[in-house]
Amino acid sequence: MSRVKANAGQVSGGTTKKGFFTRLGKQWQLLLMSVPMVIYVLVFNYSPLWGWITAFQDYKPKLGIAGSKFVGWKNFEWLFGRQDFLQSIRNTLGMSIINLVFGTVSAIVLAILINEVIHTGFKRFVQTVTYLPHFLSMVIVVGMAQNIFASNGPLNQLLLNLHLVKQPVFFLGEGKYFWWLVGVINVWKEVGWNTIIYIAAMTAIDPMLYEAASIDGASRWDKIRYITLPGIKSTFIILLIMNIGHLMEAGFEIQYLLGSSLVMDWSQTIDIFVLKYGISKQQYGVATAAGMFKSVVAIILLFAANAMAKRLDESTLI
Amino acid sequence: MAKVKRSGSVVKTGKVFPVCNAIFLILLMFVTLYPVLNTVAYSFNDGTDALRGNIGLWPRVFSLESYRSILSDKAVYQAAWISASKTVITTILNLFWTSMLAYVLSRREFLLRKVFTVLFVLTMYVNAGLIPNYLLISKTLGLGNSYLVYIIPTMFSCFNMIVIRTYIQGLPEALVESARIDGAGDLRAFWQIIFPLCKPVLATVALFVAVGSWNSWFDTYLYNGGKKELYTLQYLLKMKLATTQASANAAKATAEALSSSTMTTPVTIRCAITVIATVPILVVYPFLQKYFVTGIALGSVKE
Amino acid sequence: MKKFIAASLALALVVPTLLPVHAFADDAAAAEEPITLTVFRGDPGDQPTEDNKIYQKIKDEFGVSFEFEFLAGDLDEKLGMMIAGEDYPDLFDGGNSADLLIQNGALINLLDYVSPEKTPRLWAHIEPQKARLINKDEDGNDVLYIIPNYGLADGEQIVNQVNGPAFFLQKQVLEWAGYPQVHTLNEYFDLIEGFIAENPTDENGVPYVGFDILCEDWRHFCLINPVQHLMGRPNDGEVLVDVSTDEFHTETFIDKPYAKPYYKKLNEEFQKGLISKDTFVMSYDQYIAQLSSGTVLGMFDQTWDFNDATYALQTAKMYDRTYVALGLVYDPEYVDGKEIEEHYVNGSLPNVNRGFGISVNCECPERIVAMWEEMLSDEWQLLFNWGIEGEDYSIENGRLVMTREQYENTLDNNWIMANKARAFFESSPKKQGWILDGDLAGNCWEPGNQPEIVFDQMNEYDKAFLEKYGYQKFADFVNPPIELAPYGEAWQIDYSPVDVDHQDFLDIQDKYLPELIMTDPDNFDALWDEFVAEITPSATAFSEFMQEAVLAEAHKVLDNQ
Repeated sequence: MSRVKANAGQVSGGTTKKGFFTRLGKQWQLLLMSVPMVIYVLVFNYSPLWGWITAFQDYKPKLGIAGSKFVGWKNFEWLFGRQDFLQSIRNTLGMSIINLVFGTVSAIVLAILINEVIHTGFKRFVQTVTYLPHFLSMVIVVGMAQNIFASNGPLNQLLLNLHLVKQPVFFLGEGKYFWWLVGVINVWKEVGWNTIIYIAAMTAIDPMLYEAASIDGASRWDKIRYITLPGIKSTFIILLIMNIGHLMEAGFEIQYLLGSSLVMDWSQTIDIFVLKYGISKQQYGVATAAGMFKSVVAIILLFAANAMAKRLDESTLI
Repeated sequence: MAKVKRSGSVVKTGKVFPVCNAIFLILLMFVTLYPVLNTVAYSFNDGTDALRGNIGLWPRVFSLESYRSILSDKAVYQAAWISASKTVITTILNLFWTSMLAYVLSRREFLLRKVFTVLFVLTMYVNAGLIPNYLLISKTLGLGNSYLVYIIPTMFSCFNMIVIRTYIQGLPEALVESARIDGAGDLRAFWQIIFPLCKPVLATVALFVAVGSWNSWFDTYLYNGGKKELYTLQYLLKMKLATTQASANAAKATAEALSSSTMTTPVTIRCAITVIATVPILVVYPFLQKYFVTGIALGSVKE
Repeated sequence: MKKFIAASLALALVVPTLLPVHAFADDAAAAEEPITLTVFRGDPGDQPTEDNKIYQKIKDEFGVSFEFEFLAGDLDEKLGMMIAGEDYPDLFDGGNSADLLIQNGALINLLDYVSPEKTPRLWAHIEPQKARLINKDEDGNDVLYIIPNYGLADGEQIVNQVNGPAFFLQKQVLEWAGYPQVHTLNEYFDLIEGFIAENPTDENGVPYVGFDILCEDWRHFCLINPVQHLMGRPNDGEVLVDVSTDEFHTETFIDKPYAKPYYKKLNEEFQKGLISKDTFVMSYDQYIAQLSSGTVLGMFDQTWDFNDATYALQTAKMYDRTYVALGLVYDPEYVDGKEIEEHYVNGSLPNVNRGFGISVNCECPERIVAMWEEMLSDEWQLLFNWGIEGEDYSIENGRLVMTREQYENTLDNNWIMANKARAFFESSPKKQGWILDGDLAGNCWEPGNQPEIVFDQMNEYDKAFLEKYGYQKFADFVNPPIELAPYGEAWQIDYSPVDVDHQDFLDIQDKYLPELIMTDPDNFDALWDEFVAEITPSATAFSEFMQEAVLAEAHKVLDNQ
């Protein structure tokens, strides 16, 4: 009820200026609670954005922004003129989408399974053990994966013994497997960690609902479907929107470690491209241009996802 | 009480699922535990022997040398203190600011809600790049070579704010409304009613912030690399690993230099530093975990 | 303070000739003031302990202490930020990217402080190589920004073993074949094939790998570099230079017809199963693991790149699985019947632009230079290299000796942190090679080169192995060092102006060469042509740049003779 009123107030508030500020004045407590952080992000997150000017410069750290030469769109032209940059955009999006789907589905499934465990001690133990790999460095995890997926590794042995393949599969040397390997390794390392947020969301579900459902004779599946899943839906939607905004980030560490020249066409992400051709080649402007491009695409994706959620009448981020 | 009832509600519906579920989870635990135990096994193995690989869940040639070589450096303890203290301070400050802002942005009647939300959300997606950030923090704000650089730039995280906001929005609206009818302002409503109710999500966010802060080394590398008394544990450990790697091929830059061999090798050092850096998290974890795994009983609060 | 003055007075009395009086007179006031120098090193390292005995001596004698920063992340990134913020330490070792510091004006011209009169020892130290070290700046002035930390050695070049690139072969293969001489590519692979035919697996039943090719990241030199050596030149990176004329014709070799036989040969070996395709996706750790297990018979690499594996094999007493460095050349059949002379080991060259420079932010450059000057004395060099007499080494009958324990200490990181000034000394000007004058003449400056220590380090298996060949040392498997070409070694040349072309040039090799090795033999020629067509543009840009650079470097030296 109050929500409707408040919204109505906001709409009319925009029309008369005086009324707006008067009402804002009444919300001084909310202002007091938020303005310090507004100033904070303006300083720490927005003020350095003048650095984006360097995307249009042949930036030299010694000369600074004031002294460096302007080159117009040249840095962007250089980027988009390169076949391997376009390829790296494709790879980034491909791996991000796989990671997003695998990561989200696996986390929700595991969260539900853990939530269904009755014994509290076992529940906590499972939850603790599954999140541990999060703390292993990528070098260690990829190192293990390289042994497992090697031509003479245990996985190929298994496939050969089961007569599923005649020749060992060259998992690490063929581009078509690369994205999926990255997806699998990420799930392995992060599934437990990603679960935490959903498990926390489930704690907000009113236990009365489960009780009432039990009394009504609802099955376990019914309770998951009609109580648990709706209970974490807003968390799911919000995370999904935020992650869609992050689709341009597929990282670089795992691809760098797992990749080789044989799969270069499938493993190079935007971040690796920038590492390779940006600062290490003194092309600071190119690095900024790529970063700016990523930001712009991210914001477009974010607003698109948010608008979509709004249309579907779901929780929205903004 | 509600907790017990809720658990009880699950018991009634058959035995097949719980058993299958338990079996599946045990298998899954094996898959996720294996790399961890393997890392521990390597960390307790002789460095040179470990180079040959193929170590499973138990060290082949037991040795404490990796741990000795790291822990015998007194600088590790100073660094651990720096890391622990900055993690605690960052976590507290971050929880305070982030949750308060989450509350504000959950208030639908707040007139600047939309503007502020956009302003905060975009911080997750715009990045000025390394050099402008460096110049801001080190030059403009003069935070370089100081302890404050661990605290101030990490006081707020939008992602966590959104997570808390989502949680607050999932709470019964009536709770806040009732507080406001009692005449409480937003400050009191937040502090006395919402904040305590958010324990599960605050524990989650505390975990995220604390782990992030504990594991970070980049801020030391950027701003405090020249101040060894301000080194964090992760930075120091990372440096130790890099040194071990570099000394393995010491002659890289200097074809003339002596081929030096060390007792420790990158393979075991890497695993030992992982264990050393992770154990403190494991010690603290159960205290946070109890809040978000078992949760709090909302029903009892309502009464 | 009093103690310090007393100490410096004592020093002045004991070794009056070592201290140029005017150097102290110039900044006598500064020298008395204890200072802390900030130091950045472009590589990882351990902080010395507070009570480190050598740094304590430096503090006592010069009033100087150090605050070190080592590299933890990416060097170019870190330097970029330091340049943008002009946050320079006093002493600056920019590692592999020191050129960046020079280009951005971060370092002072040391020639303002270094001269035959002011700093005789430092001058004598750089004098023999001054043509290579002193450049002209834009205004035509002589400039010297960095005094090399390595490579300015006295006396005959010390080559106990091949430290750089070579084809490696397990000693057991040579033992099995009756200790033959191996000089050509075909001889090498014939041996491996023969051995593996008789011994497909090791004693544990693990199959032998004939030949490994490490391709990981920058270590891909194992894949892309061998051809220049097969053609009879030491390491010039990715170009082959014709040193027979003063034109120093320089070209990339990988795209030339003479590179084809090597990869064709590898293709044949791949078909025969001597090379596994896993080698192309192998990480460095996996490579070291494989070598350490003793099942890899041969590879092309550089000795320092697999030190860990050698050490692991020795610790496991698998001496016959350690490697001999061989200098292979093409068989005449591959190069129109020409006999190629092998040159894997190059003459000694200064480590140009590696080592300490003094930054423009430093307030006491004279004092640092005066300290270096003093530190080039025999006493200080012995202290840095060998340590404290009686404690870390002793002198017996004019020979510098270390017990086994003392020597092993010098390899232990934790011991070094407390007992060596490594972080400072590694980047400082230093004496290397042989001690030429004084009571200790005939000893080596570096313990690791001292013949007694080298011999003592050698195990019985190796001694017996060498005896079969009638050799004194493992370097005898290759020719003695060739005279250093006037341009130095081409891999040292800063190619940043053609960085992007160079990256393409490398990427195309990384992509095609493994494919060429694995491809169906019938497809090899077609794929080779495709490779050449693809790589020609970037290879041309790179070789044109290198041609000019090599000539310029060569002329710096030739014009000064």
